[in-house]
Amino acid sequence: MSDTKKIRIFMTGVGGQGTLTATTLLAQTVLSQGLPVTSGEIHGMAQRGGVVESTVLIGCKSPKLGHGEADILLGFEPMETMRALPYLKKGGLVVSSTEFIPPLAVAMGKQECPTIDDIKKAVAACTDQAYYMANQTIGLEAGAAQSGNVAMLGALCAAGKLPFGPEALEAAIKANLPEKIQAVNLKALELGVKTLNA
Amino acid sequence: MANPLLGDTPGETHLLLGNEAIVRGAIEAGIQVVSCYPGTPSSEVPDTFYRISPDGKYYFEYSVNEKVALEVAGGATLAGAMTLCTMKHVGVNVAADPLMTLCYTGAPGGMVLLSADDPGCHSSQNEQDNRIYARIAGMPILEPSTAQEAKDMTRDGLRLSKKHGAPLLLRTTTRVNHLRGSVEFGPAPDPGNAEGFKRNPSKFVPIPAFSRPMHLALLDRIEALREEAENSVYNTVTGSGELGIVCSGISSAYVADALDNAGLADKVSVLQLGFPYPLPEKKCLDFIKSVKKILVVEELEPVVENEFRVLAQQNEVSIEILGKDVLPRFGEFSVTMVENVIRQILGEAPVEACDCDLPELPGRPPNLCAGCPHRGTYFAAKKVFGDDAVYSSDIGCYTLGILPPLQAADFLVCMGSSISAGGGVAKASGQTVVAFIGDSTFFHSGLSGVANAVFNQHDILLVVLDNRTTAMTGHQPNPGVDRTVLGENDHPLDIESAVRGLGVTEVRTVNPFNQKKTLAALEELKALSGVRVLIAKEPCPLFTRRVYKKVAPQVAYVAESCTGRFDCLDKLACPAMYKEGGKAAVNPMLCNGCMLCLQVCGHIKAKKRGS
Repeated sequence: MSDTKKIRIFMTGVGGQGTLTATTLLAQTVLSQGLPVTSGEIHGMAQRGGVVESTVLIGCKSPKLGHGEADILLGFEPMETMRALPYLKKGGLVVSSTEFIPPLAVAMGKQECPTIDDIKKAVAACTDQAYYMANQTIGLEAGAAQSGNVAMLGALCAAGKLPFGPEALEAAIKANLPEKIQAVNLKALELGVKTLNA
Repeated sequence: MANPLLGDTPGETHLLLGNEAIVRGAIEAGIQVVSCYPGTPSSEVPDTFYRISPDGKYYFEYSVNEKVALEVAGGATLAGAMTLCTMKHVGVNVAADPLMTLCYTGAPGGMVLLSADDPGCHSSQNEQDNRIYARIAGMPILEPSTAQEAKDMTRDGLRLSKKHGAPLLLRTTTRVNHLRGSVEFGPAPDPGNAEGFKRNPSKFVPIPAFSRPMHLALLDRIEALREEAENSVYNTVTGSGELGIVCSGISSAYVADALDNAGLADKVSVLQLGFPYPLPEKKCLDFIKSVKKILVVEELEPVVENEFRVLAQQNEVSIEILGKDVLPRFGEFSVTMVENVIRQILGEAPVEACDCDLPELPGRPPNLCAGCPHRGTYFAAKKVFGDDAVYSSDIGCYTLGILPPLQAADFLVCMGSSISAGGGVAKASGQTVVAFIGDSTFFHSGLSGVANAVFNQHDILLVVLDNRTTAMTGHQPNPGVDRTVLGENDHPLDIESAVRGLGVTEVRTVNPFNQKKTLAALEELKALSGVRVLIAKEPCPLFTRRVYKKVAPQVAYVAESCTGRFDCLDKLACPAMYKEGGKAAVNPMLCNGCMLCLQVCGHIKAKKRGS
């Protein structure tokens, strides 16, 4: 285990967003590079609109991440990015969506979400490495809102913090996703990489 | 093409969920019979077996509850079949009766019981530690910490069980069930047929005269298994140093990463007990003698810790043993938590804590889905009974009825308790009781509660929330369903006939989205006394979409005339609705077209989906 550089990735989103599908795809990508991978997820009540948190860990045995341990935080919903900030190691990489999915109390007008500026400020206090993208809009441009997650994975692969680039993700999409959704996800990947480099 | 989990493809490597790895391990051992009752975090084991069953060479069933599941498994192994039975930790409570006796009769064909424990209560009512069950029953335990171990230990556990005729406990925790890791496959030979039941009353019929020698045989078996544990590949010592760490299950993963992070892997001696019971005493005593201080890292109860204390005392070894005095007896551990305890013991500074200071953010608790029929039932029940009734709840999605504004769950004990515990409240206090139970839970352990209520003349209104599936754990079949992911159920059990058969005379069946009829039925039943049953029958909308492949043709929308009273939002809390510019609004993407809100406010109308 010790000879592989450890990289710990924390992923967070909202039930129904496809967070776990993205987690598995990233784990398959890591495995296809011949790297030791463990990933973790919690099922159950989360699918009823709750928070879904997952992990992908390279070179580790434990599937769980504690506070201050994540080298990378991937937030598929901006408020969940903020909520998960305690997991980020100081100076780690953040890739986050900018598009809110308001929880019920907010939709009912009983509470308010922080603004995107509040969130960027909170992130900036922890790290200066952060990328933001409108993942659902990008996903819709690619052909399906859920493919926005793959766009974010593409951006992550292009950010230079993983021991492989977007072409590894491209190969994993072709090897693991059902054929009928491959084109959409490959397009999303391309758009995600483009957004990062813009 | 058959699923890769079924293939005789040694050497292949796949990324598997811990629960899928368990399935593969069973297939490599030549599994012949699998029974279960689903429950998080165990559910993907039976669900995977079920999904691939058309190509599998085993018999699989979703049993109606854990006791029944273990009895089916017990019969199967007595008939010589290699058998796996799966459940969540609290399910073992339900199955405890057959479990104790099966450890006496033994498991001629081999039998593994998967107990998926849930430290941290991710999706459970408690965090009981089922390693203790194995000690009451006298059964060996294997505890995996990775996907590869989950596969290997299932296979080897089944083989070991068959070799000794001993039921074996495969004890996992949520993190192991729901991790993913690479798994290298071994061969998967054809399981062939079960050997068949061989009559031997003195071994298989525990009348007292036979039970006494059966108990002695069990004690002998425990010693034979202790020898196996002494030589097991799953009990290993690595590293060397004055501090000795003992760990098993997921704690082994935390210890490995903590030592790696701290650069201490070479300065500490680690005994990983993947096969911790019966305790390999010789190996453990050697370990105790090889170090100056012991730290036992185990989540929940101090089970291994206490056994080490006994072992040291019996052998007059004076050594400091740390465990629950430095690590918590509740919840989950983490790498950093374990690392800091090790650093502290070795006199090193702790890892820097995270100083992230965040404002309080709006929570995102789970909710009843848009279009959930339970919302209609709860809304009507609260309208008729208000806060006067005591609401006895049960286990399922519908426990979410506890949330405002519906607040229709006042107390909950366990699966099936809504009826019986509700009857207890009514008998003890004379208060009005309305009990809620789902269809799967009704078949799990509600039937005997109904029989009891009729027999003892309880005064209770039972509402069966019949959403035609086992919704919360992932849409598993139950005896009442019309359809499953594999096709039609051609012999569904009818809940109304069942309760009438048990002697209930006042039974009504309604669609809870028809508020007028639901309210009328509730008013009628309220005016009566004795055991009364309302069946609120309407499929779970997620199930309808996934299995029936149907979407309602209409969605709701809020008309311009909305006066901003927000009754709809305040009374229903439907996740498809929101406030916008002083008016209510419906998100057509989320609306499931149940039209309950139209019956709450005249300003909400229906329109064709997509228009």
